[in-house]
Amino acid sequence: MRNIRIFLRVLTETTTGLKRGGWSNWLVISILAVALTIFGGVLQTTMAIKSVVSSWGSQLEISAYLKDGFDPQKVARNVSQLPDVQLVEIVPKEVAWQEMQNNYKVAALNNPLPNTLHIKLANVQAVEKTADKLKAFTSIEHIRFPLKVARNLNKVRQFLEIAGFVVTGALSAATLVVIGNTIHLVIQSRQREIEILSLTGVSPWYIKGPLILQGASYGMGAALIAGAILFCLHAYMDPYIHEQLLSFLPMNSSVMDVGLLPTLIVVLTLGVAVGAGGSAWTSGRYIKI
Amino acid sequence: MIRLQNIHKEYNGKSALTDVNLHIGLGEFAFLVGPSGAGKSTLMRLLYREEAPTRGTVTIGGVNITRLSRGQVPLLRRRLGIVFQDFKLLPKQTVFDNVAYVLRALGVDEVDVRRRVNSALAIVSLEDKTAEFPETLSGGEQQRVGIARAIVNGPPVLLADEPTGNLDPQTSLEIVQLLDRISQRGTTVLISTHDQPIVDAMRKRVISLKNGQIISDVNSGIYEMEALR
Repeated sequence: MRNIRIFLRVLTETTTGLKRGGWSNWLVISILAVALTIFGGVLQTTMAIKSVVSSWGSQLEISAYLKDGFDPQKVARNVSQLPDVQLVEIVPKEVAWQEMQNNYKVAALNNPLPNTLHIKLANVQAVEKTADKLKAFTSIEHIRFPLKVARNLNKVRQFLEIAGFVVTGALSAATLVVIGNTIHLVIQSRQREIEILSLTGVSPWYIKGPLILQGASYGMGAALIAGAILFCLHAYMDPYIHEQLLSFLPMNSSVMDVGLLPTLIVVLTLGVAVGAGGSAWTSGRYIKI
Repeated sequence: MIRLQNIHKEYNGKSALTDVNLHIGLGEFAFLVGPSGAGKSTLMRLLYREEAPTRGTVTIGGVNITRLSRGQVPLLRRRLGIVFQDFKLLPKQTVFDNVAYVLRALGVDEVDVRRRVNSALAIVSLEDKTAEFPETLSGGEQQRVGIARAIVNGPPVLLADEPTGNLDPQTSLEIVQLLDRISQRGTTVLISTHDQPIVDAMRKRVISLKNGQIISDVNSGIYEMEALR
């Protein structure tokens, strides 16, 4: 019961702190909302592009040509045991020869084609690694895969990951600075109260708790505004992207439908975490108990 | 109740307190006197664990407070009442709320808060000023609010750091007499001051500090101005 009363007092102190902030609350929330909107936009775009890259990547496949005398079913079973292998399709030499005869006017020869496996992988990063493993199979004569395409897709994927980290890091740092400075001002304005509380034996969490919750409130408020902006942008831009841009691209436009919910959850989590974290860091730095 | 043994305190190699030994019993009333820079404030800060000694032991109520972790310091401070020279009242809170502030922060239920605050305000004779704000009170009244806040949690030890520094002589005497009455109810009271007339008028135990050392400790003493020069 005592702890519940203390918690309720902490909430009351948080509310008082926010009321005292007045218009400066909105200033902080606006700055944070801009940062989180940029972050959310970059995240959403990155996820959509990654989805496209991944879609292209999943269309890449490795063709493995088997030596004569090996059972294609058995080899296919062994290949399917490899990590990242999603699907192994067997093209028997007879079928391939028949197709060739149907499509091209070829001379009546003995079938020169080998049994072939078409191997689809879970992701584009695994193409080169899996190709290396297949080369070690004694049953496989030769393999073929689009090495340059795989490498380029990997580069795009790596660039997007690094860009995502850089943008997240930069915006988180900017957000931390804004929150930190705001909470520092709050600490200065409450210096007397903090000193009294500290000298009368009130627990540090009672003193720092309202400041941390205040920072978390800023982060949450900013995240909700950023979420609303992102929702509106998504609703406005999505039909345009599908109808206009993707009509030029040789792909199913549904691969860009990554959904907004994960981005909104990340924006909200990041907003609250950075808000609370920035306040906790500033409180720890400036309040010595 | 308060015991200091072989206390040394240094700042950047410069000595602020040297081999201080002191014992103040339960319910005792004592003045800690000395000129500016004698080490009074340093000694007070050691008692409420704002600082730790360089060497030696400080014991309050049998607990060695020099070994307390940071997490244990608030528990010590709940057993101390501290009165400040500048009162340290919250200007936007009423007298009642100033005194109740700490109790509420400690999770005391509101019925108990009301009972304890009213009792503390009655001791300092401010029961008719509960709804007033500090700025409407005189300096003496503000200091009484500070004292009410210090005693509201029923601490066994009351530390007053220059409590009369901002008050006129008559009000100063009233404040010290009030602290004496609180002491007579069983609270150990230690007042740091350089207010000679007050010390001389009270004829209580006087511990004199000079250059970080205790040079005299006299029951029913006076402020030995010459010795402290």
